[in-house]
Amino acid sequence: MEIEEVFSSKPRMKILRLVARLGALNVSDIARRINLNYSTTNQHLKLLEAEGILQQRVYGRVRMYRFNDRSPKAIAVQNLIETWEQNK
Amino acid sequence: MTPYRSVFKDESKLDINYVPRRLPHREKEHRLLMEFFNFLLQFPERMTQRVIITGEVGTGKTSLAQRFGADITLEANKRGVNFRYVHVNCREYRGKLFLILQHAVSVFRPNFPKRGYSAEEALETLMQSLDEENAYMILALDEFDTLIEQEGSESVYKLTRLQEMRPGKPQRISLISILRDLKSTEKLDASARSTLQRNVISLKRYPKDQLVDILNDRVAMAFEPSTVPEDVVDLVAELAVSESGNARFAIELLWRAGKYADAEDLDLVAAECVRKAVSSITPTLRRSELASLGFHEKLFLLGAARVFKGSQGTYASLPEIEEGYAVVCEEFGEQPHSHTQLWKYVQLFSALGILKAEVTATGTRGRSTRVSLPSVPASELEKELSAALEKR
Ligand SMILES: Nc1ncnc2c1ncn2[C@@H]1O[C@H](COP(=O)(O)OP(=O)(O)O)[C@@H](O)[C@H]1O
Ligand SMILES: [Mg+2]
Repeated sequence: MEIEEVFSSKPRMKILRLVARLGALNVSDIARRINLNYSTTNQHLKLLEAEGILQQRVYGRVRMYRFNDRSPKAIAVQNLIETWEQNK
Repeated sequence: MTPYRSVFKDESKLDINYVPRRLPHREKEHRLLMEFFNFLLQFPERMTQRVIITGEVGTGKTSLAQRFGADITLEANKRGVNFRYVHVNCREYRGKLFLILQHAVSVFRPNFPKRGYSAEEALETLMQSLDEENAYMILALDEFDTLIEQEGSESVYKLTRLQEMRPGKPQRISLISILRDLKSTEKLDASARSTLQRNVISLKRYPKDQLVDILNDRVAMAFEPSTVPEDVVDLVAELAVSESGNARFAIELLWRAGKYADAEDLDLVAAECVRKAVSSITPTLRRSELASLGFHEKLFLLGAARVFKGSQGTYASLPEIEEGYAVVCEEFGEQPHSHTQLWKYVQLFSALGILKAEVTATGTRGRSTRVSLPSVPASELEKELSAALEKR
């Protein structure tokens, strides 16, 4: 997917900011915090995972999303968000 | 106006949650814990350990575990071992294993959901998180008896089985169980008990001299220089001994006594402050007891109360108290009773726990008796007795 497509979604940007701020989170927690329903949130998360930015960890029945610590894209996105937040 | 002054230098050092760097008279037990867990520093993946700490209230169980936890964490991290000490008070989690484990998980995964899984799953999550970070932990279960009470042997199995079900994989979780009395483990079945009881460290009650050392350490940390006289420390220790050597009681008493000294704008903590502090914690003066005393018994006690009220010291000699009694007799137009009779009064009030008499060796004349008023404020005693005597 091209970069403008990945970043042109408001919920996706909210998700990335949230995970950058709080670390690993589960799907329903993310949905609640960005005020979106579960299945739409889940779709956004799957997309971000497919792009190699986020990564899923499964603990029994709980799925937690966090930045993919082996992906250069994930590092770049975290840097972007951090720089953005610091220079508001 | 005089500027506000205080006998305290740093009150936080008397806070119940403060864990001092050094625990006098628990050095041996600290060393023992270090030996039990020494493997963590060298080959943490090869084994786990289970230790029980027992002892009465205020014998330093919680502080010992926390001090040790902080020390071994520092040591392990220095050697590049990713190690965490997690201290949980089971009572705060109502003795529920699920809530206890959830807390432990939250140390590694702060946003982990609070619902929707079982205690076993919480434990697996904990294990998995430890694996992911190649971390090791000691889980200290304080007030462990509440867990036994609530969940019985099954909780012990859950805590220990998981290790055994992953042969060949690194061992991750060691346990320190803290409880007052091993008796409460009798509710567990034999095999659960034997899983836990490999190493037991039992803490003895502190005798007076040890309490004095503990108190002196805190005095140095928490109070301005020379605001707490030696005999006041002595009195506090003495009182804590009669509370079964409870160091928490001793430290709280010391703190409250300091508060009374500040409230009265004194430049040092007087024995009377300690007496007030004691009666604010444990009311020892019962009115009915005073009312049932004989007339001269009341006069005698009033005399003693005035002696203690008028001096800042902890102790008075028998002649000083006799003198005080004689003055009171004069006031009431009474003839004082004989010396032998007075000695009987001293013994009576010792038995009632109001006065305390000790025979001490003196240089030239052999022995003399020193009397103290350990736990009732002299001013309160005087007030109560004056009221009782007026009614007559
Ligand atoms: N050896 C010691 N040295 C210094 N302070 C101590 C010592 N033992 C206990 N204390 C203090 O006494 C209080 C009670 O100790 P704690 O560890 O809570 O006892 P327990 O858990 O056995 O009831 C705490 O404030 C603690 O700091
Ligand atoms: Mg305790």
